[in-house]
Amino acid sequence: MKKKNSYLKRIALVLGIAGMVAPIFMLNNVETVSADAPYETYTVDGYGDVTKTQTAYLPDETITKIEEEALNAPTDFTILDDGYMYILDSGNKRVIKANTESEFLGSFGEDVLVNPKGIYVTEDHICYVADRDARAIFVFDEDGKLIQTYTRPEEAMYGETMDFLPLKIVVNSSGTMYVICESNTNGIVQISPVDGGTFLGYFGTNATSASLWNIIWRSVLSDAQRAKMISNIPSTPDNLAIDSKGVIYTVTRGEDDDSLKRLNIAGVNMIDPSITDDVAIAVAVGNHDNVFVASQNGYIYEYNNEGDLLFVYGGADDGQARIGLSTKVEAIQVGADDKIYVLDSDKNQIQVYAPTEFTDYLHNALYLFSKGRYEESKSPLTQVLEMNNLYDYANMAMGKALYKEEDYEGALKYARLSKDLDGYSDAFWEIRNDWLKKNLSTLIIVVVAVIIVIVVLVKVDKKKNIFAKPKSLLKKIGDVKIISELKYAFYFIKHPVNACYEIKYHDRVSIASSNIIVVIFMIFFVINKYFCGFLTKTVREGEYNVISDIGMILIVLFVVVACNYLMCSINDGEGKLKHIYCTFIYSAVPYLLILPIVFLLSHVVTNNEMFFIQFANLLAYTWVAVLEVISIKEINDYNFKETVKIILLTVFTILIVALLAFIIYVLWSQVIDFVKSLFGEAVYRIGN
Amino acid sequence: MATRWIKPIYKIAASVAMVTVLAGSVVGCGSSGSIKEVENAVSLDAVQVVAQKSYTSNPNAGAKSDINGHAFVAESSNYNLYMNEEDLSVVVEDKNTGAFMESSISYDDEQSNYLWLAAMKSAIVITYISGNDDTKQADLINDNVNKEITYTEYGFTAKLYWTKYQFGLTLEVSITDDGLLARIPDESIIENSETYYIGTISIYPFMGTSYLDDKEGYMLVPDGNGALIYLNDKEGAYSVGFSGTIYGTDTGFKESSVETLLWDKYKMLTSSERVIAPVFGIAHTDDKIAFLGIVEEGSMRATIEVHPNGAFVNYNRAFAKFVLRKNYTQPTSNNSTSGSLHITEAERSHSNLAVRFVFLSDDDANYTGMAVAYRNYLIKIGELTVAEDTSYNTRLDFLGTERETFLIGTRRVVMTSVDDIREIYSELEASGVQDILSVYKGWQSGGLYNLPISKYKADSGIGGTGELTDLIKDAAADGIDLYLYDDALRINPDTHNSTFNVAKQINKRRYVEKTYSKVYDEFLYLIPLRSDYALDKLVKSYTSKGVNNLALAGITSNIFSYTYNGEAFTRYEEGNDIINVVDEVAQSTNLVLEQPNAYLWHDAKAFLDMPLYTSSYIVEDESIPFLSLVLKGVMPVYSDYVNFEANKTEFFLKMVETGTYPSFYLTKESSELLINTNSSDIYSSQYSIYKDMIIEYAEQLSAVNEKTAGAFITAHEIMSNGVRVVTYDNGVKIYVNYSESEQSVDGVTIEAMSYEVR
Repeated sequence: MKKKNSYLKRIALVLGIAGMVAPIFMLNNVETVSADAPYETYTVDGYGDVTKTQTAYLPDETITKIEEEALNAPTDFTILDDGYMYILDSGNKRVIKANTESEFLGSFGEDVLVNPKGIYVTEDHICYVADRDARAIFVFDEDGKLIQTYTRPEEAMYGETMDFLPLKIVVNSSGTMYVICESNTNGIVQISPVDGGTFLGYFGTNATSASLWNIIWRSVLSDAQRAKMISNIPSTPDNLAIDSKGVIYTVTRGEDDDSLKRLNIAGVNMIDPSITDDVAIAVAVGNHDNVFVASQNGYIYEYNNEGDLLFVYGGADDGQARIGLSTKVEAIQVGADDKIYVLDSDKNQIQVYAPTEFTDYLHNALYLFSKGRYEESKSPLTQVLEMNNLYDYANMAMGKALYKEEDYEGALKYARLSKDLDGYSDAFWEIRNDWLKKNLSTLIIVVVAVIIVIVVLVKVDKKKNIFAKPKSLLKKIGDVKIISELKYAFYFIKHPVNACYEIKYHDRVSIASSNIIVVIFMIFFVINKYFCGFLTKTVREGEYNVISDIGMILIVLFVVVACNYLMCSINDGEGKLKHIYCTFIYSAVPYLLILPIVFLLSHVVTNNEMFFIQFANLLAYTWVAVLEVISIKEINDYNFKETVKIILLTVFTILIVALLAFIIYVLWSQVIDFVKSLFGEAVYRIGN
Repeated sequence: MATRWIKPIYKIAASVAMVTVLAGSVVGCGSSGSIKEVENAVSLDAVQVVAQKSYTSNPNAGAKSDINGHAFVAESSNYNLYMNEEDLSVVVEDKNTGAFMESSISYDDEQSNYLWLAAMKSAIVITYISGNDDTKQADLINDNVNKEITYTEYGFTAKLYWTKYQFGLTLEVSITDDGLLARIPDESIIENSETYYIGTISIYPFMGTSYLDDKEGYMLVPDGNGALIYLNDKEGAYSVGFSGTIYGTDTGFKESSVETLLWDKYKMLTSSERVIAPVFGIAHTDDKIAFLGIVEEGSMRATIEVHPNGAFVNYNRAFAKFVLRKNYTQPTSNNSTSGSLHITEAERSHSNLAVRFVFLSDDDANYTGMAVAYRNYLIKIGELTVAEDTSYNTRLDFLGTERETFLIGTRRVVMTSVDDIREIYSELEASGVQDILSVYKGWQSGGLYNLPISKYKADSGIGGTGELTDLIKDAAADGIDLYLYDDALRINPDTHNSTFNVAKQINKRRYVEKTYSKVYDEFLYLIPLRSDYALDKLVKSYTSKGVNNLALAGITSNIFSYTYNGEAFTRYEEGNDIINVVDEVAQSTNLVLEQPNAYLWHDAKAFLDMPLYTSSYIVEDESIPFLSLVLKGVMPVYSDYVNFEANKTEFFLKMVETGTYPSFYLTKESSELLINTNSSDIYSSQYSIYKDMIIEYAEQLSAVNEKTAGAFITAHEIMSNGVRVVTYDNGVKIYVNYSESEQSVDGVTIEAMSYEVR
């Protein structure tokens, strides 16, 4: 909380200054009292999908001029905690010094800079400028006087033929410079200020990616052919930032998951962002252990220190010219007051975004949560959730906070809402543990009692035959043809060889009984898919595709049986279609028997006991597979080798059928499109 | 830089002209008394002007000295009209102050080409369509135009015919007590050519124009609630100004254009605010003269254009552009990559076109004056009636039921039942919140998106029809109006047969509104006939139960061109049909309307979802509560939902400033239940969360609005220190401080982000 207070003081101070000079720059900047954002704000839900949320940042003001000084193709800028702003006005080859209220405080570098690309200013106002075409880094003091120039490192380690084209720079507290150089793929150039510049080595090199396909491909190509391939060299980072602890953040375009990196002192990446942008162009470190990444297209991403996406907002100007949209973003900075400053070199402006109340609460919660102060984080989290019930990151944090407080029911609810499987599992374990502690004795008593009753009843029955009537009734029912056919499944799964013989020669089961099993299978499958325990669920909550599930089962059944039959009939198989169909279905019965157990287990296990479910599933699949193989063998009277051959042929046929179906689909869609076009044309012609 | 030192010379020229004008107005005499009586009739029915005495040459020529080449033509009690016969441009002069505004530029900066120069002088600027090209300009200077000018008692009539393009029209201009009326009757528009068609017509596009920052003042932009563009030198910062289709874009012409999508999937840009009222204006605050432009006829197919200097030319201008015909794309295949034709609409749209320039002077020559003038105008022509009761209410909307997918169909998600509402009412009443207006959404059987509603049948999940009827009656007895919500525009193809009677675009393709939601992924639009049918049935079965509170949406804020049975209908036809439908419903029900367009205001008992902001276009310098200034005191106006505002304090102050009443979207159950429904964007709505806020808002806002009850706003000022001062005609002043520090105005000290009522 102390941190917050000092911000407030600072804000008050800045505003005080602002109040005095307000009339001067009121005219320079487009000042909107209030506005709705022209963009949506999204966040990520527990499934990793994007959902809408409250506006996180509103366009605040647009800085196009610093008093009378217009910006010309600015490429970079730095904002210090004391409100000073250094803008690299590249088109005019100078650095403009201003405050965040856009008061002009001077400019420098006019006669030194050639084609400056990057700027970094330390807290004591020492200004480093990376100048690409001057092939140098210029250092200016507080008054804009050139105090040092660093040129290409002389060390052999730097690379003999390597040019020095500095683009972006940051400097750590001990004065070590981290420089991104154009077309230097070795990584970030690390230069120490000692002895007028000592090259320390390369840092945070991007890895090259080699796909399995590439490796195979390369191994068969000749050297000449290999040389013609697109060379597999690592990409140079596009931009970088440094936080107060000296941790470096880089962004690289087109690096997918690695496009945002947080590099510790050893150059090891410590962040794994959930979602990244293809053209991430700039990065900045926030005041709450958060990171901001700006995409060239104007999207601004905010991540927490783990790389979870908190917000993405902003966007490219589609010609509507609404405040807050960008054309070509070059740099991003975060002010001490949490405002976001985005530099647009095409619009020659700095767009300021102010956090909303919602974002302030979230930042506060985030900060406390990351510091492990769960108790304190609950109050701002509640605020966040009141404003947005469906903000999954807050739900997750709330679940964790409640878990620490031993409110497991609450933790369970929030973990489920935020799809936090681990959190859910932990909370559930605790709840189950409590339940067991309370009810274990009762449970044991009940189980023992039930066993005793059964044993007694069995004994009594043996002596006095008290269950004669129900037994005979059961037998009667069991003798009904269809029931006995169904009951045969139990025999089938234990004695498949004999059972197949019986089916083949005595028609022990029928199509009707097989169909009933298929229906039961479908029902079990659907129930298990949609109503199993949260931890084993494979579909989104609230998503139901029952029709397509059933359709899928029927298609698979049809295709497999048909293909198998076709292959068998041309390979001297003895099986009739009916028998192949029946045995195929009866072979699946073990799955039907184990599924209910899995289903029940899924409601009581946590991640720790997930083994039971996996084992049960494995058992079911193996059993079914063995039965299928045996039944193919027996029904067709094959030997083992022939059976393997038939199975492979069946698989091949299925693939061919799938391919055929695809081709027919494509052709038909062309025909349908043609007919529709014809109709569309006709409608138009007749209409006119 | 050249313009910089030319300017002072120009200024001298202007002031010389001013002196002559002043002299002229002293010399000139007019029988203002006798004109006045006729004048009332004129302003109400402009067609009568033609019937007045007429002359083929200017009978008043030379009666007063010319202004910038414009000869005196006619006068009303307040204004003199001057006209230039060559380009028909006019000058309107205020008799009392001598200030004037011109419809053409009187200083040429010599930086514009001949087309722009002509556009800046001509009374009429046409863009014509020739083949695929719909951007060519026809005007009164560069083209050969046959002109027949007839002078009338209050102005002139000019019959114009472009000989090359073979089209023509008649422009009627008359000076009225409140300003100027320029009108083109529909029957006068003729097109004889097979190759040239009229695309758009602008009437006096440079009325009130000024060069760079020659004049102090601003232009009114009807974006959202209202915005201003200052008449300062923009230094070429904006290449384009504001251009907004009145009453929103036409879905009948909407093409599936390439949108900027995040990761090619998510719509990132929000849609901009609609132009709800057909107005624009320019105020020259230094000369104390201003005009409010009202698109009196033809507004349903027109755009408002407000362009500051730097957008193509160095002159500021605001005007209305009427659309008669458009080119559109006719796809010949469902597959977008194969084949499409560019076609011009077969028939032009038919309507009279008229712009009324209401002139304002002295203390009225500002945006508050414009708002007051617009309010008076609407009341005078009967488009607005001052409601008897505009007193404060907190609007509490409830969501009844929604649907989520379940197994092979959908299942009900009950959010707020009838009993829940009763409970909430009694709880709030106990806490002192008694003035409530409610809209019940998703009350109908089948949930919120079971559309259209053609029967009064409540969902059994909320308690059923009987219970609902009882609730409405009981609430009414307690002084609470509970309105049932009906989106009469949309049809849900998943719950209703939508093969027929849905709107097709001009290219004969069905218009599909994508929702990107989980349960129902698209909606279609009903044609007015069908909306009428469903609405009629609903209202009949509803009113037969003795209740008649209806909240209407959808058709209140959309007008569109469509084709039906091979016949094309324009926005005029659709819009007028909707007016008739709503008028009819209004006769048997109490109607509140969701963000209604101006032509429906006369049917509304209350205005729901008033936008308090603008679309924040980069050209706009200031957002002002123009619509609120017009409507405050005339009818109760309710805000958008407070729930979804990220900056609640600022939003609250906005409501204080504009006299808008707060709206909450409430559910008894937690909104997380909505996650799998189409309403998954309602991320915060649970009553228990908002209860305290409702009580607090009601307490504070009812106290403010008690003092301003029944009063109109007469002045609205924006101070440089972030304070806004609103003055009511009963003398109450409201000071709203948006700045982060304490401020004082007129000796009143207002805390940071706070307000004071005096």
